[in-house]
Amino acid sequence: MTHVPYDAQALGETLLARCERLIDMAKAAGAHEAEAFASASNGVSVKYEKGDLKLVSSDEGAVVGLRVFRDKRAGFASTNQSHDEALSACVRDALATASFAPAHEANVLPDALPWQRTVACSPEVARTDGELILELGAELLATAQARSAKIAIDGAAADVTRAVQAIANTRGIRGHESDGLVSLSLMGMAIDGADVGGMHYDSGVWRSLDKVRAAVRPMAHGMVDVCVGNLGSTNAHSYRGPVLFSADAFVDLFIAPIVAGCSALAVQRGRSPLAQKLLTAIANPRLTLRDDPTDQDLAGAAAFDREGVPARPFTLVQEGVLMGWMHNAHSAAVGKTVSTGHARGGARSVPALGPHGLVVSTGDGGDEQAMLRALGRGLYIERFSGTVDPTNGDFSGVAKSSRWIEGGAVSHSVKETLISGNALQLLQRIALVSSHSVLLGGTAKAPMVIVDGIDVTAG
Amino acid sequence: MAHLDPLSLLDDALRGAQADHVLLRWHHKTTRSVAVEKGRVDNAASNTYSGIGVRVLAHGSYGFASTDRPDRDAIRRAIDAATLAAKASARQRREKVAAPPLTQLAQGVYEADGARELRERPMEALLRLCLDAEAKTRAQSGIIQSATCGYSEIHEEKAIVSSDGARVITRVARPELRVFAIAAKNGEIQRGVETSGVTGGWQCLFTRGTAESMGERAAQKAIELLDAERPNGGRSVVILSPALVGMLVHEAVGHTVEADFVLAGSVARGRIGTRVASDFVTLEDSGRSEFLPGAGGQVDVDDEGVPTQRTTIIENGILKSYLHDRETAAHFGVAPTGNARAWEYDNEPLIRMRNTYIRPGQGTLEELIASTPDGWLLDGASNGQADANGEFMFGTHEARRIRNGKLGARMKGVNISGTAFEVLQSVDAVTSDFRWDLGSGHCGKGQPAKVDAGGPWLRCKVVLGGKEG
Repeated sequence: MTHVPYDAQALGETLLARCERLIDMAKAAGAHEAEAFASASNGVSVKYEKGDLKLVSSDEGAVVGLRVFRDKRAGFASTNQSHDEALSACVRDALATASFAPAHEANVLPDALPWQRTVACSPEVARTDGELILELGAELLATAQARSAKIAIDGAAADVTRAVQAIANTRGIRGHESDGLVSLSLMGMAIDGADVGGMHYDSGVWRSLDKVRAAVRPMAHGMVDVCVGNLGSTNAHSYRGPVLFSADAFVDLFIAPIVAGCSALAVQRGRSPLAQKLLTAIANPRLTLRDDPTDQDLAGAAAFDREGVPARPFTLVQEGVLMGWMHNAHSAAVGKTVSTGHARGGARSVPALGPHGLVVSTGDGGDEQAMLRALGRGLYIERFSGTVDPTNGDFSGVAKSSRWIEGGAVSHSVKETLISGNALQLLQRIALVSSHSVLLGGTAKAPMVIVDGIDVTAG
Repeated sequence: MAHLDPLSLLDDALRGAQADHVLLRWHHKTTRSVAVEKGRVDNAASNTYSGIGVRVLAHGSYGFASTDRPDRDAIRRAIDAATLAAKASARQRREKVAAPPLTQLAQGVYEADGARELRERPMEALLRLCLDAEAKTRAQSGIIQSATCGYSEIHEEKAIVSSDGARVITRVARPELRVFAIAAKNGEIQRGVETSGVTGGWQCLFTRGTAESMGERAAQKAIELLDAERPNGGRSVVILSPALVGMLVHEAVGHTVEADFVLAGSVARGRIGTRVASDFVTLEDSGRSEFLPGAGGQVDVDDEGVPTQRTTIIENGILKSYLHDRETAAHFGVAPTGNARAWEYDNEPLIRMRNTYIRPGQGTLEELIASTPDGWLLDGASNGQADANGEFMFGTHEARRIRNGKLGARMKGVNISGTAFEVLQSVDAVTSDFRWDLGSGHCGKGQPAKVDAGGPWLRCKVVLGGKEG
């Protein structure tokens, strides 16, 4: 496949010019304040199905979103078309909406603050072409298939995505940032005669090709080993007590409701169960949680947020104590404080509010084997498939790719096993945190954790 | 870009393309959305996302590329890029793909009901609807702390041209409304949710009640859940509402019979012609809105240009068919079922469900409850997932105990699980009524798809994830 040289700097300048032009058009049409955010990406993706190559695809495109305020009334429009007529329509639609939307005093844009470049598309990722992605995908698939004859790969993918984001507003913010990521994913199950094991998947995102190559073997082997281990599943035992959670399951079940409750918007609007708990102990002191947009291992690393505010490390929970709320410009104006740089989202939507990349601190529980020994007897959950209500922490769901532990070692894989409880109450019952952490698909880093008091229902 | 004639544009771009098969899809998507929470307009937006997706079959392998520029030269460059991708990947692909067998392909213009009428409704009316509904939901009770009302509509216009004769334009509109109520008392917070999502126009969206009545129901649910207990867990007899029957057929069965998943080794592989459910179960997937109008997943023509049809997956308990695109249909030697769907122009078509349901049977819900000595009535669907081995789970919003044929108080929802074909074998009653009820739900499979599902009330056995003991 041919490869067109990728010039992130030039693309960033082009996008920034489009943002500034859109702002000028909006001001000329009557906007009092305006913000334009543009993103462009190009990449190559290789997808496998049924253990065979399914499709190679390439794509590139750009989107720009325009937010306007007129007398504190807000409107928004976006387009992926770059011709004059489309940009004019974007301005017209955003202003039309702003003409009849109710005014709100906290409809404000942030002022410009200096930010430091955090990530960039590396030259090697900029050069990565379809041939290399095909090579990586083939290696991932072959490594997985060589690990066990019982493995059936339902889907696998390798892709490179190069992205540029640019922002400008009428308060003086202007800038652009590039990034380049290579990702791998693998999903499958083991089949042994009539026994079809539960599915498992793994994925990862990296900014360095060396790290991608180093990750192929452990990802493929880890995923296949879990799938093969899922064969021959039988019932668990019903009980209330300690459960060992993988990093993935712990983040899905226990960290997600904390993050939802730390949104300043949720607090201000009466839907945060943590609203009255600032600077109080919401969890066992073993839990420390921070959002770190400077961590290069995390896909969400960035210099600025969706509103152009510098993105900085932010501690949500320090040794069990709730430390603060995440703000964007709107919630900060309501709360009469400053944005913490947590405006999130893309060019196709108005800024929302959320973290960049979560890091759960490790503890003193030792490695995986030590955690299994510490559990002794009970359930080890690899993946949680269920629901957690962000307004109160109630959860219920199925333990997937999970194991029954006897005498500190794996006894058998389990099926039709559900867990339930209240995640926020159970944070106080964190009993042990492992000494190592795992990178979860580039979105978070977390250790394994034992939590007591979980209701386990065996089918 | 006024006066774009997409069919002529695609015809022109296709001329001279050198490949075994070429599929061009101009996909113009516009959305309007409004979100109001506690009196503040969080979002009032118009979006355009438009371009051309190109799929090429060359040397026995597929390549895909896309462009956001609707001009002949850009599309031809995308055809070249997709062709190069196909040729490069051919070295790796073990099982070469032949050009799809000839089949009936769509020609002409298909326009779903409501598309034009919905587009003409001013944005101001949408904003007013959400502001009013949110304010009235909050006013239901002093216990309601906050409410959210969100409206969105997607307008899709597609032109599909293939090298073997598809030449069609489709237009469809899908409006959705969501109302959330947050109730709080003594430090406890609960949430009530009501949603509606259809393929059709404005009236169709409110077939089952006004936005105000949706807010009332959401508020009432949130308030009642404040004092609700969590049910005990374990294997139980349950009566599933049409919304949950929809989740059951979508998650537990529908995904396992998608032919790409079947070929990967799903539990439905090799089961055609065998019993997988009780006699009470006839399960279908249709591009049309069967029984009642407005099903959210209506598709007249799929994204390979195949006219959709009603596909009987299970007939009186016997597995009859998988869901196919053109490639898997050729593999199994059957006709394509019109299930190839792409979310946006830069997504390739995948095998997806449309409107999936169990056909109604006999009797009423009241009779079903009266004939249940010990069990649960479950309602309100949240998220769900299915596994290759047929194990599924999905969430429910509320549960009510049934003892000796009588309904008890409302309890908190639970997640339920089971193995698809075992649960379907346990079905011993299906009522005569019918409802589409996935509301604003979407299906995720690498890319989203608007689907719907539903059916009658149904009794079966599942595992409830509740309190231990």
